[in-house]
Amino acid sequence: MKKRSVLYGLVLIVCGVLVPLQALALSADEIVNKANLAYYYAGSDGAAKVRMTITDTRGRKRLRELTMLRYDVEDGGRQKFYVYFHRPADVEGMVYMVWKNPERDDDRWLYIPAIDLIKRVSQRDKRSSFAGSNFTYEDVSGRLPGDDVHELIGEDTLDGRETYVLKNIPRDKDLVEFSFYKTWIDKENFLPLKGEYYDKAGRLARIITVEKIENVQDIPTVVKARAKAVEGGETVIEFMDVRYNVGLKERIFSERYLRRPPRRWIR
Amino acid sequence: MKNPLLRIVHFSIENPRKVMALTVVITVILLTQLPGITVDTDPENMLPADEPVRLAHREIKKEFSLYDSFVVGVVDDTSEEGVFRPETLERIARITDEILKIDGVVAKDVISPLTTDDIQAVDGVLTIEPLMGRRIPDQETAERIRGRALENPILKNLLVSGDGKAVNLFVPIKEKKLSYRVAKEIESIVERHGGGEEYYITGLPVVEETFGVEMFRQMGVSAPLAGLLIFILMLFFFRSVVLVASSMVVAMITVIWIMGFLVGTGFTVHIMSSMIPIFLMPIAVLDSIHILSEFSDRFPSVKDKKETLLMVMKELFTPMLFTSITSAAGFASLVLTPIPPVRVFGGFVAAGIAVAWLLTMAFIPAYIMLLPERFLKRLHRRSKGSVLYRAQEYLGWLSVRHARGIAVVCLVVFAVSVYGITKTRVNDNPTRWFHEGHPLRVAERVLNKLFGGTYMAYLVVEGRDGVMKTPGMLEYVDRLQGELSSLDVVGKTTSVVDVVKKISFELNDEDPAYNRVPDTSRKVAQYLFLYEMTGDPDDLYHLVDPGYSKLNVWIQLRRGDNQDMKAVEAFVYNYMRDNPPPAEVETKWAGLTYLNVVWQEKMVRGMLKSLAGGGVVVFLMMVFIFRSPLWGFISIVPLSITIAFIYGLIGMVGKDYDMPVAVLSSLTLGISVDFAIHLLQRTRQIRRESATWEETVERVFDEPVRAIIRNMVVISMGFAPLFFSPLVPYQTVGFFFAAIMAVSGLTTLLVLPALMVILRRPLKL
Repeated sequence: MKKRSVLYGLVLIVCGVLVPLQALALSADEIVNKANLAYYYAGSDGAAKVRMTITDTRGRKRLRELTMLRYDVEDGGRQKFYVYFHRPADVEGMVYMVWKNPERDDDRWLYIPAIDLIKRVSQRDKRSSFAGSNFTYEDVSGRLPGDDVHELIGEDTLDGRETYVLKNIPRDKDLVEFSFYKTWIDKENFLPLKGEYYDKAGRLARIITVEKIENVQDIPTVVKARAKAVEGGETVIEFMDVRYNVGLKERIFSERYLRRPPRRWIR
Repeated sequence: MKNPLLRIVHFSIENPRKVMALTVVITVILLTQLPGITVDTDPENMLPADEPVRLAHREIKKEFSLYDSFVVGVVDDTSEEGVFRPETLERIARITDEILKIDGVVAKDVISPLTTDDIQAVDGVLTIEPLMGRRIPDQETAERIRGRALENPILKNLLVSGDGKAVNLFVPIKEKKLSYRVAKEIESIVERHGGGEEYYITGLPVVEETFGVEMFRQMGVSAPLAGLLIFILMLFFFRSVVLVASSMVVAMITVIWIMGFLVGTGFTVHIMSSMIPIFLMPIAVLDSIHILSEFSDRFPSVKDKKETLLMVMKELFTPMLFTSITSAAGFASLVLTPIPPVRVFGGFVAAGIAVAWLLTMAFIPAYIMLLPERFLKRLHRRSKGSVLYRAQEYLGWLSVRHARGIAVVCLVVFAVSVYGITKTRVNDNPTRWFHEGHPLRVAERVLNKLFGGTYMAYLVVEGRDGVMKTPGMLEYVDRLQGELSSLDVVGKTTSVVDVVKKISFELNDEDPAYNRVPDTSRKVAQYLFLYEMTGDPDDLYHLVDPGYSKLNVWIQLRRGDNQDMKAVEAFVYNYMRDNPPPAEVETKWAGLTYLNVVWQEKMVRGMLKSLAGGGVVVFLMMVFIFRSPLWGFISIVPLSITIAFIYGLIGMVGKDYDMPVAVLSSLTLGISVDFAIHLLQRTRQIRRESATWEETVERVFDEPVRAIIRNMVVISMGFAPLFFSPLVPYQTVGFFFAAIMAVSGLTTLLVLPALMVILRRPLKL
């Protein structure tokens, strides 16, 4: 009897230690979903002033300043973006609006103030450059977790932060410029800290690094990131005046408001 | 001993073994240098690395991220649809995907239907996306792709041929030195994935690479073949393998020394320097033919090697020294040209002539001394009655009896030649370095017929910041492009204006009235920002700089001829002078087609200068050698007639005055004066020894003239193999070698005696 109880106790101890560990260990998909929410769906809406400094291969700099408004229709699902350009000066007032639809192509509009024209824009290629920078549209508005197969390939420490390292392989390789990409995701706040994109021949082509994270309304927020092309050229993106849950109305994200930017948010 | 240099001859007659050993050692040392050979086929190197135009070219290439590109043309003539069939397009997509993976290819700048954006408003929705995807489900999709490409003025004739049947891919590479590997990889990709359609691979990197390979082959085949033919011809004249072999050995050693030295000192082998062996061979053979000719004529009567040698060398020493100096001076004058490969060529050929002279003085006597007597038994005086003798007698009779007639004929020929020279067309085209039927020429012809032209030139217009957003400036460039496109030689022009116009057209529901530059800078800026936001911003920055101070007009020419490029340049210059632009701007040109024009112009001027300089030097030398201005003058008459005749002929038949032709002028200068030196020097010598002028004539038209004729025949015929080279510059050189030898030989043998008859008194004969 005694023997048995010892064995029983041992089993209990082993289970007591291992079972919670098992529960703590996340699958790659879970990590990606958490990261997606942490990075792209923080709060129920958000507003930020964005500054992009684009440096080309020859060291020439270009500056973009814009205000970005975000409205989450559903967490982790449909989203609406309103992007108002302040600089360069001669494009001030151009607005780019996106309705992100996980289940079909996004809807996009562009407002061109010089000819007072609203134009629907089709852009099947979400991997193209965002406003001439080294970031893609998907880097800014998020890539659907379901578009890739995710694999947890290890753990790493970046600037003292513990991270998961994931390898992401696209389900449809014809739609993207990379063969796979790796992401480093903070174990604590699930913000992606680094991304490495490999071209079709498997060569490292682009590196995104998060350079500054601040707590905004207690939400850890990326406020500075850098995208660097291995062949030369980089873009630094800075988020200023970040605010969450400001009470944006969904109706702002409509054609009508392209001509009449909501002055309360855009200054 | 009159001349200290003559000691060399005596030394080697006394110490033949030492001379032999030394020659072998030096040859072996220099031979080991040869494997380090590096070929340079980059036409850019025709200009010095620090040449302003070349620096500007590089700067512009960097500024607008332009690279040298392969052109892969896909053509299908078998049906109405051409390549616009689902399966063909899918194959092209696969090939493109594979090409994008090649290491060294600038993937983001590849121009292809799969990667290059088309701008179009479909049902009111503005779409900026690549022309086609990877899956083409049906013929209808294929037709739609064709329709879109043809409706886009930027893509038409660039990506898709005007007849809508063929497609072009432009594959930029990071560095030229990768050309070979990339070319091989493209070939194997096409091989693996291609179908019934034809693939034409061309573009400058291929041309250069192929040329380099052919060049090696020519050095390895044509030159030795020429050597072999010279050997056979010499055998025919001298009937002694061992004697002729000595001359060939001198030629070979000369080539090894010079090429070994060239490679060993770190020079790259350029198209010009690859011809050094071909130039050196006849020159090296020349001197020894004189020695062998005299030696074989005299030995049967003298019957002693040493005595015969001394006799021959004593007589020939002065003319051989002088001919070598003048030939070397002719080539050395090339060092004055502003074109580095030509300078290297001239310098090394001049050095080679010195080496050949030294070997002739040292090696030939040593060789003959070491030769067992029995080998020389077979030498005997040839009977008078042979063709050669009859020709000599006839020439002698003709030139002496009809002196005045010959002088008149020469004047007429000279006058006609000068007229021909005025018709000279300076032109070069690296693609034409290959013969008509070469696959590269075929590809070039096919693609330039179908598309806007594979020869790219860039016109950069530069002003203050932002000026390239102003409607006035864009409209101005638009008009300039319109005028340029009306020129026959221009296939297509592209600039940021075309992008702006296309966006305007599409934003306004494809209303043709809006296919123009909008009326405010703000509109231009927003249209372009739209493009940057939705398309590939890199595409834009091939055409304009981010500060909008510079604009780059791509001009596609149908031919790589310098004349065409020059016409375009002059046209732009005149247009901008007559129609001043709305704001102050500067223009700059770039592109290889343009660089070619620059170096060619330098070449023509440089060559003329060096030819004139060389001519003056040779004339002064002649005056010095003969210690008489009149003798100096008549000695350069044959050479002047030869040069005038050759270049008059080039002008007359319309052959382009290109690089090899230009370089040949120095050869003419150096070699055609040789015959004159030999003839005049020997005539004076013989005149002193003979009682009467008639006797002099008879003796001159014996051995000396025979040596000249042998030389003439051997060298002009020896270069026949070059006619069959697949590389046109080699053909040119082969033909002109023959022509120069024949014409200068004949003029020397006809004109000089005639002149001596006419000017007998002032010449004190």
